[in-house]
Amino acid sequence: MIITKKKDFGELMENLRGYKSFFLLGCSECATLCGTGGEPELAEMKKALEAEGKEVTGTFVAKTGCQVLGTKVELKPHKDAISKADCIVVLSCGAGTQSAVELYDDKPVFPANDSLFLGNMTRLQMFDERCSLCGKCILDKTGGICPITACPKGLLNGPCGGCKDGQCEISPDIKCAWVRIYERMKKLDRLKELCETTIEAKDWAPSQKPRTIVAREEKKK
Amino acid sequence: MSFKDILNSKKFAVTAEIGPPKGTDIKEMLHHMELLKGKIDAANVTDNQSAVMRICSIAVSKLCLEHGLEPILQMTCRDRNRIGLQSDLLGASVLGIKNVLCMTGDHVSAGDHKGAKPVYDIESVQLLKAVDGLNGGRDMSGNEMKGATDFFQGAVVTPEANPLEPQLMKFDKKVKAGAKFFQTQAIYDIGKFKEFMKHARNFPVKVLAGFVVLKSVGMANFLNKNVPGIRVPDELIAEIKAAGKEKALDTGMDITARHIRQLREECISDGVHIMAIGMEDKVPEIMQRAGLL
Repeated sequence: MIITKKKDFGELMENLRGYKSFFLLGCSECATLCGTGGEPELAEMKKALEAEGKEVTGTFVAKTGCQVLGTKVELKPHKDAISKADCIVVLSCGAGTQSAVELYDDKPVFPANDSLFLGNMTRLQMFDERCSLCGKCILDKTGGICPITACPKGLLNGPCGGCKDGQCEISPDIKCAWVRIYERMKKLDRLKELCETTIEAKDWAPSQKPRTIVAREEKKK
Repeated sequence: MSFKDILNSKKFAVTAEIGPPKGTDIKEMLHHMELLKGKIDAANVTDNQSAVMRICSIAVSKLCLEHGLEPILQMTCRDRNRIGLQSDLLGASVLGIKNVLCMTGDHVSAGDHKGAKPVYDIESVQLLKAVDGLNGGRDMSGNEMKGATDFFQGAVVTPEANPLEPQLMKFDKKVKAGAKFFQTQAIYDIGKFKEFMKHARNFPVKVLAGFVVLKSVGMANFLNKNVPGIRVPDELIAEIKAAGKEKALDTGMDITARHIRQLREECISDGVHIMAIGMEDKVPEIMQRAGLL
């Protein structure tokens, strides 16, 4: 899921300076799980804005904010509340915010959150970054642990000299990705394969932005 | 005799470091070059060491050449993508720089521009392969170039890494990628280093053991606590402690000289790499005590 974090309220208020009324849009997927854009957060934001003397014309938690057409249909009943608002404040990720931008081209749209990474939820509201969406998966070669993501340097062929007692030089809280990969491949009896394969310089072309894919066309291929 | 010829002739090679300064005042650095000229076989020119922005290593390598010191150009993958790295390598080649040390590079979070975007488009193993390709007249995309490079390429290794096995895996990959020589992280335990050399001797590569002179008990403890891959044994710390504060540095220099002498006499390594870290003026004396001058 997409991990988001609430913007500092002071920063948000600075961005919203000059506007008086708002429509708040959340998302029932990632932002809800992150605690940044579900029903409770929308209610909390409404309260906070009203405390600042602002008006909230309506709130809605989209089912999947990044799905543009679905969100458009869902928002139809909120047409009046949205048109009454000076602007829309989106409590989801950057994708959800830009769905609203696409749907309301005559209305300012502001993000209430910062979008951080694609994360795995390990416990309630605890998230780890494990995949960088690089466009060409190499997990087959690295025992299912992604060094592009788990190693701060994205090293592809082993640890750097910064590994101290198995931990990463960037932070003693992070275990060296390559020590993890090595241990796992050893456990799986795949060490020979790991040691004898030099992973070539990565082709970053599949990660060049902006990326578009028409899945139904891909299916035909 | 060039650095490459010295290593290939089986003479015991000595390298030290020239650290480019931050800013354009190069007086002190030129003084260090003068001190080391004619004494060491080559000088590593560090590449924005510790991710702290300084004069680029190519420019300072060229200055080394002009001042009669053979440079080993350190190149890290932190600040340039493969286009930048290859382009700089071609540039270094036409400036007459022959030796290149391929490294991944300290992370930007260690340096003085913490908000910089770390590049790492490629890493040390792949950079070694790239150098090998350029030497063969082809760039990383396989394009034929007009004129090849003629680099003598090396890499780094941490013989006392913990855990060691993944580090050795990388060492082997670096050899396979074309590394001809290795300079190591600072070592303090010759017994452990010998163990590492047993592994290294399986390959046709030259190894220069790294040395950082201990200046005090505090420094030794700091290294043990903070620097990955460095382990100062308790008995060395005790030796420096016993010498007293005033003679600590002198004892540290003795220890380094003693270790170098042992490596040379017992043919354990092919040479040594002395990282003076602000004590460049002491390098000739250490060499003297080690019987190298």
